[in-house]
Amino acid sequence: MPLHLYMLRRILLAVPLIIGISLVAFIIGNLVPSDPTAANLGERAAADPDIVAAFRAKWGLDQPLHTQYLTYLGNLLQGDLGTSIRTRRPIADDLARYLPATIELATAGIAVALIAGVAFGVISAVWRNHPIDFIVRILSLIGVSAPVFWLALVALLVLYLRLRVLPGPGRLDAVLSAPPTVTGMYTVDSLLAGRWDLFGNAFSHLILPALVLGAYSAGLITRMTRSSMLEVLSLDYMNTARSKGLKERSVIIRHGLRNALMPVVTVIGLSYGNLLSGAVLTETIFAWGGIGRYAYDAARSLDFPAIMGVSMLVALVFVVTNLIVDMLYYVLDPRIRTKEA
Amino acid sequence: MRRFAILLLIVALSLPAWGAAAQSEKVLVVGLSEDYNGLDPHRAYEPGGSMIHTAVYDTLVTFPPDSVSEVIPNLAASWDISEDGLVYIFTLRDDVVFSNGDPLTASDVVFSFNRMKNLKDNPAFLADGIVSVDALDDLTVVLTLAAPDPAILAKLIFDAFSVVNAKVVMEQGGADAEDAAETDTAELWFNDNSAGTGPYVVESYEPAVQTVLARNANYWGEATYFDRIVIQNMPEAATQKLALEAGDIHIAMDITADQLPAFEANEAIEVFSTQSDTLIFLLMNQDPETGGVMSNPTVQKAVRYAIDYEGLRILSGVGTKIPPAMVPLGFAGALDESEGIARDVEMAKQLLAEAGYPDGFEINLQYPDFTYIGTEFGVVAQKVQADLAEVGIKVSLTPEELQTSLDLYRGGKHGFGLWLWNPDYQDTLDYVEFLPAGVVGARANWTDANADAKILELRDKVKVETDPEVRKELFHEIQLYEQESGPFVPLFQPGVHFAYRTELQGFHYNGQWRVDLTLLSLAE
Repeated sequence: MPLHLYMLRRILLAVPLIIGISLVAFIIGNLVPSDPTAANLGERAAADPDIVAAFRAKWGLDQPLHTQYLTYLGNLLQGDLGTSIRTRRPIADDLARYLPATIELATAGIAVALIAGVAFGVISAVWRNHPIDFIVRILSLIGVSAPVFWLALVALLVLYLRLRVLPGPGRLDAVLSAPPTVTGMYTVDSLLAGRWDLFGNAFSHLILPALVLGAYSAGLITRMTRSSMLEVLSLDYMNTARSKGLKERSVIIRHGLRNALMPVVTVIGLSYGNLLSGAVLTETIFAWGGIGRYAYDAARSLDFPAIMGVSMLVALVFVVTNLIVDMLYYVLDPRIRTKEA
Repeated sequence: MRRFAILLLIVALSLPAWGAAAQSEKVLVVGLSEDYNGLDPHRAYEPGGSMIHTAVYDTLVTFPPDSVSEVIPNLAASWDISEDGLVYIFTLRDDVVFSNGDPLTASDVVFSFNRMKNLKDNPAFLADGIVSVDALDDLTVVLTLAAPDPAILAKLIFDAFSVVNAKVVMEQGGADAEDAAETDTAELWFNDNSAGTGPYVVESYEPAVQTVLARNANYWGEATYFDRIVIQNMPEAATQKLALEAGDIHIAMDITADQLPAFEANEAIEVFSTQSDTLIFLLMNQDPETGGVMSNPTVQKAVRYAIDYEGLRILSGVGTKIPPAMVPLGFAGALDESEGIARDVEMAKQLLAEAGYPDGFEINLQYPDFTYIGTEFGVVAQKVQADLAEVGIKVSLTPEELQTSLDLYRGGKHGFGLWLWNPDYQDTLDYVEFLPAGVVGARANWTDANADAKILELRDKVKVETDPEVRKELFHEIQLYEQESGPFVPLFQPGVHFAYRTELQGFHYNGQWRVDLTLLSLAE
């Protein structure tokens, strides 16, 4: 099947998938044995039947569940995600406000994970059972198993408070104001505005949370790359390449790494989705106003429209990253191209 | 490796940039776990929002910076109260202007109060007793009540009674008519703008990130020290501590008791601890169907003698206070801490025997499984369980998810529960809610029908009494009654803790808005 047809099919398949996810999210949200009125109205307001009735009518909570869902779905198909009960703003505005911060963080995190993971993985495989391999394996084990909040606090304590080499929580120093919003990502926007000082500040604020957020994926990618490389390194064509007189570096990178990368790409794709949707703890500790924190606050106040909005967004992120991963296979593995041509 | 080198180079180049951030103006940075979802003062309900509204808006009357026991003039220079306590006439200051330069008039006060009442949002209940607000002339406001309310001045200090520029807010879709709840469209405008008479204006509010206040150039009072105030959202107390130690924030608003030892050796940081207004208590349902054994008055009294209050004080840590009855310490008329019930295990056993349970009984303790300002409810419940075991009462713990638990509690379905109460406004009158048919009383099914005449009489008297001395007497009697009978056991008021840089001057704590940011300055 040609690439564009394949992609079209995948995109069409995503529509029922997303509707299915909306249904599941809606049902789970409503299974919680408590009531958004209690979560959103104050002590006294919740004791006033008039205010409670007005609240339920305003947010459609007085409608039967299936009506509520169908209304939601109808609005969703028209591109309307509804209004947040908690912030009273349109969900689309809220998502647009918080998503860029998380994309920025997750992208930096995956960059850290990718660079460190692949480099360490290759080093570790090439120097198998050497002390370097041993150190890398311990580091990757720490990356995979250390709790994020612990890692975040230790990183802040050492690099921010003690050594003072990196700035602390927040996306910018408090005295600075954000660059004019274009993408919502401070590093990009500051460059677009030609503000190198802001870029430097935003970038340095990004390093610590990105290291912490990327640590788990870095550990995972290191281990994946190592085992995949070990397998490839033992294959016959590696010896062939060497006997052709190629430099060892070229053998390992061109012939070894490229073939070892296939499973790694899958892990990277899934990791990116996880980073985007699972940054709650990192965002909380680093006071990073992103979508993870927004989802957490929405869940706590049973803000159904916001919970639904975030669920839809996360579903979409996974669909898109999976699609990109599949396309990368297509690029990396010539066999897929030949088979499908 | 080359890519690594480039990355390192970028990092190295960027480092000097952040240290050299220009700082010509004086900026105060506050670390706060953001608890508000918007900055419309007439919907105000959260303590964090209160701190901001106090810097941006003014109310007719106010409290001194460090106490809530005295009402002092603010926008109103003076006021008169009618003989029957129903009519309050406020005379406004004639030199007050809004941040856009418009002079303050009585019609702004009328609009503000009516908007707050008619938006029917969280704070609207504070205006329940207000029949009408009228402008007699440009500088005279007449407030008429349905019944005498000894707490009305304290209520007017709540930031929901902030006075806004009526003209500006109406231009932004603000409404004060009876149907304002449906017609008002100014709520979101208040997030990025303000229309007050306070020393600061709202410059920007990025929810979950930060709120920035800038100096009000037209402020009618004395100029403040800081040009700008940045309130940074730091949800995690550990993050606030680190940022304070690094000197990136001047105040950490959400410090917990377990962090205090770390500050002791640090000369750059001052700590302020006091008891909070939060009252943690046990509820024993008066309805035998729901409360079972716990509805027995003698059992209720036995439980009050069985609790180890001093142990709770140690458990809860620095700043904790043990209120003798259901009026927290710090409120006018509260009994002195020394008048509290002392633990008496023998007495408790004897009371249980009198009630017909010489060998005790088994009971479930229901509570929300959460942590509030450092108080872990599960830990407190375990302490109650251990204390009651000593007198023969076997308690099974029943933790519940917060919202679920809240529903049960508000619906009067908790037989034996562990809960908390925060004051709605800073006046002792709020604690009549623990009496029959009050908000919390009703949750314990303590009603006019099953309460005795004595407490009903005291309740009805204190609700309308305005003389401070007589009120004090009445509250004393009520608390002595509560120690003897009734469905509640006061446990403790947890401490609240603030930490700030030593160079920061003018720190005052007040139960209403916590810290008045406008009074702060830096030692030069």
